[in-house]
Amino acid sequence: MITQHQAKLASPEILRSNFEKLGYICSDAIATAVYLACQLQKPILIEGPPGVGKTELAKKTAEYLSSPLIRMQCYEGLDEAKALYEWKYGKQLLYTQVLKDQLGDVMRGARGLDESVQRLHQFGDIFYSEQFLERRPLLQALQAEEGAVLLIDEIDKADQEFEAFLLELLSDYQVSIPEIGTVKAKSKPIVMLTSNNTRELGDALKRRCLHLYIPFPEASLENKIIASQVPEINEALRKNLVSFVNELRELSLKKAPAVSETIDWARALLLLNVTALDEPWLKDTLNLLLKFQEDVELVEPELKRLLNKSL
Amino acid sequence: MQKMLSQFIAALRQSGLPISQAETLDAVRAVQLVGLRERELLKTTLSLSLSKTRPNQLILEQLFDDYFAGPSTELSKALDEGDDLNVAMESFPASADDRPAAPQGELSALAQQLLSGDGEGLTVAVAAAAGAENLSNISVFTQKNLYSYRIMQRLGDDGLLADINSSRSSALEPALTNTLEARREQLQAQVRDYVEQQFLVHAKHKGMKFREDLLHKVKLSHIEHQDYHRMAALVAKAARKLATQHSRRRKVSKRGMLDVRKTLAANAAFDGVQFHTRWKATKIERPKIVAICDVSGSVSRVARFLLLFLYSLQDVLPKVRSFVFASELVEVSELFERESVAVAMEIIMQRWGNMSTNYGTALEGLQEQVLSSIDKKTTVIMLGDARNNNGDGRADIWAQVYRQSRRVLWLNPENKVSWNTGDSIMSEYSPGCSEVDACQSLNDINRIFSRLLKYS
Repeated sequence: MITQHQAKLASPEILRSNFEKLGYICSDAIATAVYLACQLQKPILIEGPPGVGKTELAKKTAEYLSSPLIRMQCYEGLDEAKALYEWKYGKQLLYTQVLKDQLGDVMRGARGLDESVQRLHQFGDIFYSEQFLERRPLLQALQAEEGAVLLIDEIDKADQEFEAFLLELLSDYQVSIPEIGTVKAKSKPIVMLTSNNTRELGDALKRRCLHLYIPFPEASLENKIIASQVPEINEALRKNLVSFVNELRELSLKKAPAVSETIDWARALLLLNVTALDEPWLKDTLNLLLKFQEDVELVEPELKRLLNKSL
Repeated sequence: MQKMLSQFIAALRQSGLPISQAETLDAVRAVQLVGLRERELLKTTLSLSLSKTRPNQLILEQLFDDYFAGPSTELSKALDEGDDLNVAMESFPASADDRPAAPQGELSALAQQLLSGDGEGLTVAVAAAAGAENLSNISVFTQKNLYSYRIMQRLGDDGLLADINSSRSSALEPALTNTLEARREQLQAQVRDYVEQQFLVHAKHKGMKFREDLLHKVKLSHIEHQDYHRMAALVAKAARKLATQHSRRRKVSKRGMLDVRKTLAANAAFDGVQFHTRWKATKIERPKIVAICDVSGSVSRVARFLLLFLYSLQDVLPKVRSFVFASELVEVSELFERESVAVAMEIIMQRWGNMSTNYGTALEGLQEQVLSSIDKKTTVIMLGDARNNNGDGRADIWAQVYRQSRRVLWLNPENKVSWNTGDSIMSEYSPGCSEVDACQSLNDINRIFSRLLKYS
């Protein structure tokens, strides 16, 4: 994977400027993380508040390297049958039914159990071969010829057993399937794990990953992000709304507005033909930024002060 | 580079970051890739590969600034000052020109080095001397002067002093004497700065760690009020650790295995043609815990910590019902859920704390409120000293609890020696317990709860 893209991955700076061309404005820390992950062939564990572009990073990396993005969403109860592989039981059962007659033919004339079993053995493990294997995301990523970007989303939602199961994959890029043997990666995929910290991840998992924390962006960076995502918005308004959102983040809210909310808000203001921030507009569009009624109630009386600060 | 990195990592470990050898190797490889030239890039690289949580990342960045700011600024300072002095010396052409070659040959190595204005060489020499004196072992601030002195000695301060004295007594070269003295002072300042910086890097956290270790062992009743906050943090940490270690036993519903018997049975209606598949499923249920905490006068000194642990436990485990009592039994599970730890404890101590104990009424309350919900999946934990003011202990209720539940633990904050002395009636209750243990320090609590979670 690395060898094909050596030029694209030559330095963090190149990565950063190219991501920018794709519309993903990132800090140096993010570019360095991707650079190191590719060069050292280590997974990245991405943490940060929701909506700062964790999942987007994986998507853009895949787009940049023009390799497929294989995404696995984690949830409680996820196990290897859904993550790695499964036998196509339905097909297996159906085939045994359909082939009943054939089996009868094969067995005809066999004397006693021993001989019958001997004959069956001649046909090998027909029902446990590649044709009956249902590939799930992890196996797909390992078997992708040209390499892939594997996104394991919200790993903290999965159970701890699953985390332990991932360890072999993350450190050696291989998995063991009892019926077939060890499957090694054809071309090592770039693995990104995201976490919202709903539970503490195991040390063993963390040890195998680079750890990237994406915080809320600084005002200047966020300005650039809005400029690239919503280019039609005028500059003065953009600056105002970014500083207003930054003021909001200072308050102790249940959920502080993230970048994705700022983008949504900017788009909405554009759609409403707002040219300058004022209190009535703010009041009407506040629910785009704040997702909890308590937060809205907390902010509303403060609107005037915040607005004056950010203008 | 490797030496520098390994020293930095040692400093990180002292600040409490768990860094394994594998991570060290990763960091070395990463640093080889990005090089040492750009400071910010190096910082990002190290924080990506060495820190694994946000708080640790902040510690690392702070330490990076402490650690790598030092030498470079010192270096440039030393060089700058060296230049100044050279200029100053040049402004005394007479002394500089007239200076005979012979005395300089007799000067000690350190004096020569100082005169030559080799700032970089000196910085290296200071670092080397500090290494030889094991400066990284420094742990309390009173050691700073000692280490500074030792480093000066190792650099050859005696020889330098002798040089200064001899040149002063010969009175031939006042300029040389002055220069030497001025540079010696500079060097001393440099050594002091270096020691200070190393102290910041190595010892700041060592002191804290030392204190925390101590807190783990000290008896709960002896903990000072000022350490209370730190203790609260430690207890919460311990409870969280225990819970993550053992929270693996969640509900597991496997889908990976075909249950042949059930599949055949489910498809019997279709003449054995198998339309529906059936899967093997295992379910492990979480244990139920009923925790009861004595908050009466006799245990008031430890009650806060027991409560603290109870609170943390309820925070991390799903099915805990918490009760407190002095004489009446009161359920506080809801209070714990609603309030923060400090508020909840204040309320409890104010309302029910420091009253006289009556285990009899408390257990009667238990019989009314909880006994019916105690079953074979329940673990009952009692935190108390069994000092009943000579009343009826109602041990029969406790025996009933024991019969109904899966396990009963009694944790006594008193030393085993003082059980059954005075009004303590531990011996009445102990037959109704699967385990009885003294619980006097945080280490004890950790040990007991680890066992509890392992078997539950």
